Amino acid sequence: MERELSSFRDPSGHLYHHAGQIFRQVNAPYSAHYDHLKTSGLYQALTEAGLLIPHEECAPEEAGAPTSAWKILSPERVGFISYPYEWPFGLYKEAALTTLKIQEIALDHGMTLKDASAYNIQVHKGRCLLIDTLSFEKYEKGTPWIAYRQFCQHFLAPLSLMARVGPETGLLMRDFIDGIPLDLACRMLPYTSRFSPGLGMHLFLHAGSQSKHAGNQKSASKSTVTLHSLKGMIDNLASTIEKLELPRKLQTEWSNYHETHNYSNRAHDEKAKIVEAFVKKVSPESVWDLGANTGNYSRIAARTARQVVALDIDPLCTHMLHGGRENAERTILPLTMNLANPSPGIGWAGSERQSLTDRGPADVAMALALIHHLAIVNNVPLSGIASYFSSLGKHLIIEWIPKSDSQIQLMLKNRRDIFGDYSLDSFERHFGESFEILEKVPVPESERTLYLMRRHE
Amino acid sequence: MSILAYLDPGTGSLIIQAIIAFFCGVAFTVKLYWRRFKAFFSGKSADKPEENQTPDGE
Repeated sequence: MERELSSFRDPSGHLYHHAGQIFRQVNAPYSAHYDHLKTSGLYQALTEAGLLIPHEECAPEEAGAPTSAWKILSPERVGFISYPYEWPFGLYKEAALTTLKIQEIALDHGMTLKDASAYNIQVHKGRCLLIDTLSFEKYEKGTPWIAYRQFCQHFLAPLSLMARVGPETGLLMRDFIDGIPLDLACRMLPYTSRFSPGLGMHLFLHAGSQSKHAGNQKSASKSTVTLHSLKGMIDNLASTIEKLELPRKLQTEWSNYHETHNYSNRAHDEKAKIVEAFVKKVSPESVWDLGANTGNYSRIAARTARQVVALDIDPLCTHMLHGGRENAERTILPLTMNLANPSPGIGWAGSERQSLTDRGPADVAMALALIHHLAIVNNVPLSGIASYFSSLGKHLIIEWIPKSDSQIQLMLKNRRDIFGDYSLDSFERHFGESFEILEKVPVPESERTLYLMRRHE
Repeated sequence: MSILAYLDPGTGSLIIQAIIAFFCGVAFTVKLYWRRFKAFFSGKSADKPEENQTPDGE
């Protein structure tokens, strides 16, 4: 039995791993709340609506649990755990609205969310849902929402910054493990933001009150909020978040820019066919598309794989991919990630939130039109790229781009060519150390070559 | 307050919440009545707001 490192804050219970499975232990003091979750019909309402992870109760001895455990739950397993600092704007917004929807339904069943951590929301089967079954407690008449501050720090502040300052500010969540401090958000937001009623109240007034009462010795636990007012506040938070959008100008610039590429349509179509054939050959459960861009190849992989994680450095790319997915493509999870600085392990002891590598390896990692960005723009040696990619995927589909390619010429326009080692020969040699090359197919009407490789075990 | 509330809700947050929630409650009442009012004249059920209706009933 190994305790899940991210599960330690809440005394109601915790997650642990046993025999390759994940279990949730529920402790006795939480029993009344758990029973209420089941008997009030809340569990059923939320799981039927796809808003809460379904679980089965199991016998403690089957799950290797201590006898002190009151109950053991076996929840459905989420394919890939993602974190708020990786979410594109659209997904982050969906996660926030999911949390509020859950709170609304909980209040109708006489319960309330006792926390509103963004880390409790995950994407499962293409939709956002709550994975922490122990987040509910019985609602007591007149009590305010304990998780209001956390909701504003974890959701409203980062979403406002992404919408009004820039989508790349989502990365701030990586440094602030309990959400963006409200006073910081207020200092970063444009001055006019305070005149938006929702942001004015929930961020600016809220931050003002926090600083005014900081160090106040008196407890505020007597402050009361009626159920109707609480529902009104949840409704107001939802409409405030609904209205947040990325600037239209950014989105237009993005689509104009991304319509261009430097090779012929035939080369483009042929490349797609080769990638599809490679993916089918491996028939993977999971594919990570590294540098997914518009998600063209993620879509191709999604026809075969059960889950595709589409990683790209550009938060607009991932946002557009998230919003542009067809229903059948909802298995694609777009995440913003700079592969030259991928998500590290963070939080308590550096292990509360996993690094990208810790969440792998995927059955297939795809690196199409990516290698020159790492090797030329970021100066990473080919041997380093090969060794990192072998930690991300058991198989690798990679595109070789020669130095004569117009993209690379553009990258070298204003700098000295210090990349003597960047050649097909050394590419094959370095990657051959970590992988076995299974197939090698030149892309017609281009100088590029696609490889299918399997890593040495 | 529940003993299971392991989060610190924050003094300033609790105090301002009571005020914000009061005003949101008033706006919520207006919104619900407005919805009923519109539903009465459009002949639709007030319980099922139209898809495009904004939550503020604007």
